[in-house]
Amino acid sequence: MRATLTLQVIRHQCIADGIYELTLDGRGLIDSVDPGQFLHILVGSGDVHVLRRPISIAEFDRGILRIVFRVVGAGTRWLSKQYEGALLDVLGPQGRGFPLPSSVSRGLIVGGGIGVPPLLELAKRLAHRGVELDVILGFPAKAHAFYSDEFASFGTVHMVTEDGSLGTQGIVTDVVRNLHAEHSLSWSHFFACGPHGMLAGLQTYFRDQDIDGYLSLEERMGCGLGACQGCVCETKGLLNRRVCTDGPVFNWREVVL
Amino acid sequence: MNTAVDLAGLRLRNPVMPASGCFGFGREYAEFYPLSCLGAVVTKAITGSGRRGNPTPRVTETDGGMLNSIGLANPGVDAVLCDELPWLRQQGVPIIANAAGSTVDEYCEVVDKLSRSGLVDAVELNVSCPNVETGGLSFGVDPDILCQLVTAVRPLCTVPLIVKLSPNTTDITAAAGAAAAAGADALSLINTLVGMAIDVKTRRPILARGVGGYSGPGIKPVALRMVYQTVKSVNIPVIGMGGIRTGIDAIEFIMAGAAAVSVGTANFTQPDACVVIVREIEEFMRQEGIGCLEEIRGCAL
Ligand SMILES: Cc1cc2nc3c(=O)[nH]c(=O)nc-3n(C[C@H](O)[C@H](O)[C@H](O)COP(=O)(O)OP(=O)(O)OC[C@H]3O[C@@H](n4cnc5c(N)ncnc54)[C@H](O)[C@@H]3O)c2cc1C
Ligand SMILES: Cc1cc2nc3c(=O)[nH]c(=O)nc-3n(C[C@H](O)[C@H](O)[C@H](O)COP(=O)(O)O)c2cc1C
Ligand code: FES
Repeated sequence: MRATLTLQVIRHQCIADGIYELTLDGRGLIDSVDPGQFLHILVGSGDVHVLRRPISIAEFDRGILRIVFRVVGAGTRWLSKQYEGALLDVLGPQGRGFPLPSSVSRGLIVGGGIGVPPLLELAKRLAHRGVELDVILGFPAKAHAFYSDEFASFGTVHMVTEDGSLGTQGIVTDVVRNLHAEHSLSWSHFFACGPHGMLAGLQTYFRDQDIDGYLSLEERMGCGLGACQGCVCETKGLLNRRVCTDGPVFNWREVVL
Repeated sequence: MNTAVDLAGLRLRNPVMPASGCFGFGREYAEFYPLSCLGAVVTKAITGSGRRGNPTPRVTETDGGMLNSIGLANPGVDAVLCDELPWLRQQGVPIIANAAGSTVDEYCEVVDKLSRSGLVDAVELNVSCPNVETGGLSFGVDPDILCQLVTAVRPLCTVPLIVKLSPNTTDITAAAGAAAAAGADALSLINTLVGMAIDVKTRRPILARGVGGYSGPGIKPVALRMVYQTVKSVNIPVIGMGGIRTGIDAIEFIMAGAAAVSVGTANFTQPDACVVIVREIEEFMRQEGIGCLEEIRGCAL
């Protein structure tokens, strides 16, 4: 039988403006994680906050997990105040993460803002397999940017900010176009997580190209388990699919954004 | 000590059942505990053909609970009979199928198929959906329309018929009386209250549809009052629900006269909420020296 897990916070860090990283001890509780899976985290005792909050697993190493989140409301604010020793009630690892196809020859990883964290574990796994990676990370501004050095050990990192305070000025799709059209780079697969507009932009950009790709989607969730139908996304099939259990990662050609 | 209850001829091992729409068809929660620990399982709403439901966002947390505008998303009665109920039948728990539709004909089709299948122990008629025949008003708000609907499905329903009432009316006892007069075997209440939340940054409602159903702890006082009033006004059993999180909450509904209780939103907070509630009811009975729930049912009336 499944159960919720109690994970202890073993490290608390503010890693950028309004962005926090928590390291959680899941040893003996969580044996394996697929990149892109998430934890459905209880806020407080659940008396005030009836819905859990989905937060991606950024990295997993022998039972130790890292999560990274931006404070946007009451739940993430509470989470940002959980220091070393605090206990989190979590459901997970939840969802279907990124597949790691053996056919990846050169991979493109695209992350936007708070969509960056789940791509770290993915980059690590692909790099360990010897896959060559181009990583494009986009943020609003330098103050919000994080993890560029972490990704640098797994691939060639291209930073892009909307205000130009770090890396190229613009948005991630500008960099994709630049690498692809001007530097004639091409990829067998792409993997992306970020705001809706960014994912839609990638879908449009790659529309006529022979490339495999996976998108990780975000949706408001109820149960986080597949039971309530709250978190669905539209796909080309007849019925919707659930982001919490059929996703959050979907084949880029399957979803209607 | 005995927690068993009798509900319109159904024998339930305890009074706790998950509320419709908060438990799917049981598969996801069966990973957490054997469904046979429950009094019954109430399914997600089942309609004539499959429905995608409303656009997202269609759930969000709000003060004292949550809002949803799922909109009866389900694969349709034929798919449910083929893919979901045979599995659920194996779990050793009574099944209450929640039936919905936009027209009287659609309700009749769903109830007929469910009751003929032999796979369900009772039907719960969800009358909170918009009635396309009368221009989108919910079937549940007008006692006359409700009476017509219940009268139409009654002869097709060979298992106990439960009518689930909407709280979005001025007088819930009028709807309760109409359903009882038309032949309902039991009532369940309350469904969600209409509510909304606004994102002040985007200056737009959070739910794509604008408004949605409010559920969770915040609605409990209203739900309890409506159960109390309804129990006083009709002679058929009432399943009480709305904001139940603990065994003590459930006991309050039973003291207000409920024969059994449903638990919705609390399943999202803790996936094992229903079994914890059963345990807490037992604990309360032990502490208070209560031998069976009949001893306290309606004691607050
Ligand atoms: C699969 C998945 C993975 C995610 N991973 C991360 C991550 O790694 N880091 C991170 O910072 N954020 C992540 N998010 C977004 C995160 O869940 C929300 O920022 C968070 O729920 C906001 O909660 P809050 O109480 O602070 O905000 P509030 O706005 O107060 O929340 C109110 C309600 O809306 C929901 N909600 C609000 N914004 C979002 C959103 N963008 N997505 C989903 N639900 C939302 C909340 O869960 C809650 O039910 C992820 C979302 C999903 C679906
Ligand atoms: C996500 C969600 C989906 C629901 N779907 C249905 C449904 O399909 N049919 C129905 O009769 N009630 C539905 N309801 C209402 C619940 O069954 C219940 O009446 C209500 O939520 C109040 O109980 P609670 O406060 O314990 O959640 C739904 C509620 C929620 C939160
Ligand atoms: S959140 Fe309930 S089905 Fe996905």
